[in-house]
Amino acid sequence: MVQLLDVMQKALEGKPMSETDYQLRSFAPKVAEKVKEHKIKYDPQNPIPNDNSLADELFEAGLELLLDVGAYCTDTGRVISYTENEIRQALKQAPSKLHFGEGRDRKHLVARKIEDKTPPWCLLGAGGGPCSSDRSFLTLVEGYAEIPETNAITTPAITRVGGMRVRPASPLEVLAAQRNAVLAREACNRVGRQGIPIMNSLATAESDIALAAALYPKFGMRQSDGYMICCMDPMKVDFARLNKVAVALSMGGAIGMCFGPMLGGYAGGPEGTAVSNVAHHMMGILTYQSSWLLPFTIHLRYVASSSRDMLWVISSMGQAISRNTHLLSLNLNYTTAGPCTPMCLFETSASVTAAVTAGLSIESLGVATNKHEDRTTPVEPRISAEVGHAVAGMKRTDANELVKKLLAKYESNLSQPPLGKSLYECWDPETRKPSKEYQGVIKKYKHEMAGMGLELKPEMY
Amino acid sequence: MSEDKILKDLQKSILEYDSAGAVSAAKAAIASKMDPLKAIEKGLVPSIESIGQKFEKMEIYLPELMLAADAMRSALALLLPLIPKGSGKGTVVIGTVQGDVHEIGKNIVASMMMAGGYNVIDLGVDVKTTSFIEEAKRNRAKVIGASALMSSTIGSQKDIVDFLASSGDRKKFIVLVGGGPTTKEWAKEIGADACGMTAVEAVKLADKFSKGR
Repeated sequence: MVQLLDVMQKALEGKPMSETDYQLRSFAPKVAEKVKEHKIKYDPQNPIPNDNSLADELFEAGLELLLDVGAYCTDTGRVISYTENEIRQALKQAPSKLHFGEGRDRKHLVARKIEDKTPPWCLLGAGGGPCSSDRSFLTLVEGYAEIPETNAITTPAITRVGGMRVRPASPLEVLAAQRNAVLAREACNRVGRQGIPIMNSLATAESDIALAAALYPKFGMRQSDGYMICCMDPMKVDFARLNKVAVALSMGGAIGMCFGPMLGGYAGGPEGTAVSNVAHHMMGILTYQSSWLLPFTIHLRYVASSSRDMLWVISSMGQAISRNTHLLSLNLNYTTAGPCTPMCLFETSASVTAAVTAGLSIESLGVATNKHEDRTTPVEPRISAEVGHAVAGMKRTDANELVKKLLAKYESNLSQPPLGKSLYECWDPETRKPSKEYQGVIKKYKHEMAGMGLELKPEMY
Repeated sequence: MSEDKILKDLQKSILEYDSAGAVSAAKAAIASKMDPLKAIEKGLVPSIESIGQKFEKMEIYLPELMLAADAMRSALALLLPLIPKGSGKGTVVIGTVQGDVHEIGKNIVASMMMAGGYNVIDLGVDVKTTSFIEEAKRNRAKVIGASALMSSTIGSQKDIVDFLASSGDRKKFIVLVGGGPTTKEWAKEIGADACGMTAVEAVKLADKFSKGR
């Protein structure tokens, strides 16, 4: 079993290589080679593929990719290589079930299979999107914690402390990360869900020192939260990330490696991006010592995961993982459109359908490419979760028809999506409800979803 | 070797992502006493422009774009020193800001700037504020490009602008910002010249501001 000290030894003694050579002359051509060898082909007519052999070929291609190129440590300039035995053993020994949370909010994250009727684990919230103030942070997290389907929270990121913009690896980031922990717990306490886990611990802690500083017990983080560490694309790691691994392991926290090979990036087109995603899953359980995984591939042009080719990537790599492993994998999705627009809800519906029917769970979501402060509300993750529950058990062929209908609603607008409204323009923090206008958008959306064959929960307003 | 053949070899080397071929063709251009500006403008630039257009249409992807830029950089290393100062579009110093190790967006913009005719000094990732400014001064750059992917790191873009202003150097450089969380409103708020929402827009902004603010 590969452990952290083994990873360090490999990082210190592996094959020396420049970062450019690793990315451009090792990783990229090897991805293309695997796509060709395994005859992996993107089919735009079927964004949700119904082909088990494709899933199995993708799995083998991903495994071979990791075996051939390894991971890369930017601090030592060396390749971290793994043997086939190490990879297969890690896959075998990875947990198929994890507990998160406390008290009545303590739940099991379980591995799912293709077309599985088990509802997806719903990690709901802002996916680390920026918020402008403590007030916005609390408003959003309270809203997320009140969603009935919420199994865990993914908080926004705090961008200011004492009126100053956070600076990386500075005392401002340390203080912001500590505030992130305190406010997240406080928001859950305020709505009576004291035990709910925070699973993107901690969105505001980009640096290792900020994460370590925020884990001092008085700030409220728990062993039963989830510790998310972001991988550098493609399949790279540095000492700062391994420091985070060491810190999270020392407190017994379950690490989730998040990774976002961009469609159009080092892995190339949809086929290569799917292979890269599969390889990242295996690399994560080894290098980052992950016990759960969080793929969040986004499209280089749209900075979102709702385009046709992206849906194919999510579904095909998800099927490869859920057919061939028992890994706990949650897909994070981004939309191009903003709150209070039908397009945003259709986009997240498509991405969630692709993930859940492929056997993945969900983290939902980054709204409007997740770049604008306060341009997200508790509505979008709630709708994502309702869709996730509704499509659990759906056949891939039916999911394929559904996402094609959804694509017809928004595909032509991906280049110029509506930004919609900001948090307080369409969400009332006092009543904890969307604005009248947004309620109308949601009702119309649900009516149209019913017309496409997917009945969602009736609105309670 | 004829001029036509040399120009074709230069073009081919970029289109085939061939650094060794680019060096060989650049050496042939120098040996034949070809005007180095012609070798760049008629040999390298049309091909790298074509590569940039293909990348924009997603007919090719990031590795091909970067390999072509790498080949171009290899040839330019030989040709640029032979060109009288003042020719060309000028120098862009680019990097990802302090505390941020995300490089893809920065790499795309660096490659597209090169395709747009700029001499590009890529400082890499996690670049200190003072390094951006020191390198811009040392290389007599016109443009500083600062990339940031995280909402926790874009504050460093402001530090670059503030440092230049405090040291009386603000007007000497065009400061362009970009990356995941940056917006045009953010660029305005911190006093940067502009925010490039795409790599193509970044090149257009550099062109626009290079002609004068």
